Amino acid sequence: MPVPWESLIPFGLLVVMFGVAGTGLKASRMYQNDWKYPRYSIDNWDEMMMTRDEQLTGSRRGQTMDPIAPAGYNNLYYKRK
Amino acid sequence: MAENKTAADPLTPVPGDPLPPLQEIGTTSAPLKSAAYFIGDACKEFNEDFMLCKNESRDPAHCLKEGRKVTRCAQDVLTKLRAACAAEFQAHWDCLEWNNQYYYACRKEERPLNACAFTKLGYKKEIPGVPEGQQPIHLIEKPYFRRQQK
Repeated sequence: MPVPWESLIPFGLLVVMFGVAGTGLKASRMYQNDWKYPRYSIDNWDEMMMTRDEQLTGSRRGQTMDPIAPAGYNNLYYKRK
Repeated sequence: MAENKTAADPLTPVPGDPLPPLQEIGTTSAPLKSAAYFIGDACKEFNEDFMLCKNESRDPAHCLKEGRKVTRCAQDVLTKLRAACAAEFQAHWDCLEWNNQYYYACRKEERPLNACAFTKLGYKKEIPGVPEGQQPIHLIEKPYFRRQQK
């Protein structure tokens, strides 16, 4: 007897649509976080550190190991802005 | 990062300031968190001096000298870590960045970093306030709380 493959089309559609939506959402969130998993449960300390990271590297998730800060960082005027 | 037009070179001495010029720490949150216990071990006296000084007065001008010592000590630790244990250091803070900067998720990368820092630089990681008879959590071989999925 022939297998009724037409009845599997809705299942396939659901799987593909959920998959595309989920993948697209994950890609969008990772893109916003420099292709890393997003940070969660951010408290005031983490918020302060991420603002400092942005001042040092230009991005809230950017990281650098350099012990000396770049030239514009020392300027208190820039920090108050 | 856009340079501010009035940004001064950090190494030019400020007229009227008796202390030598200083550059701020440029390390961001993840490597700093990775090196935190080593900075605490190496710079304990300077950090305590600074905290006690701040306790006297919150005025920023009051504790500039102690603050400079703290900054220079931390910069020294970070430079030495980068020179001696670069690969382990990088691996540990990469892992922290992937795990919302939770220490418990990165014990596997932390062990070689602690070993390298102890053998080559003499820094130990000590958690203050561990109750008597209990093992410090970073020394437990199979911790109860760990990442369930990988």
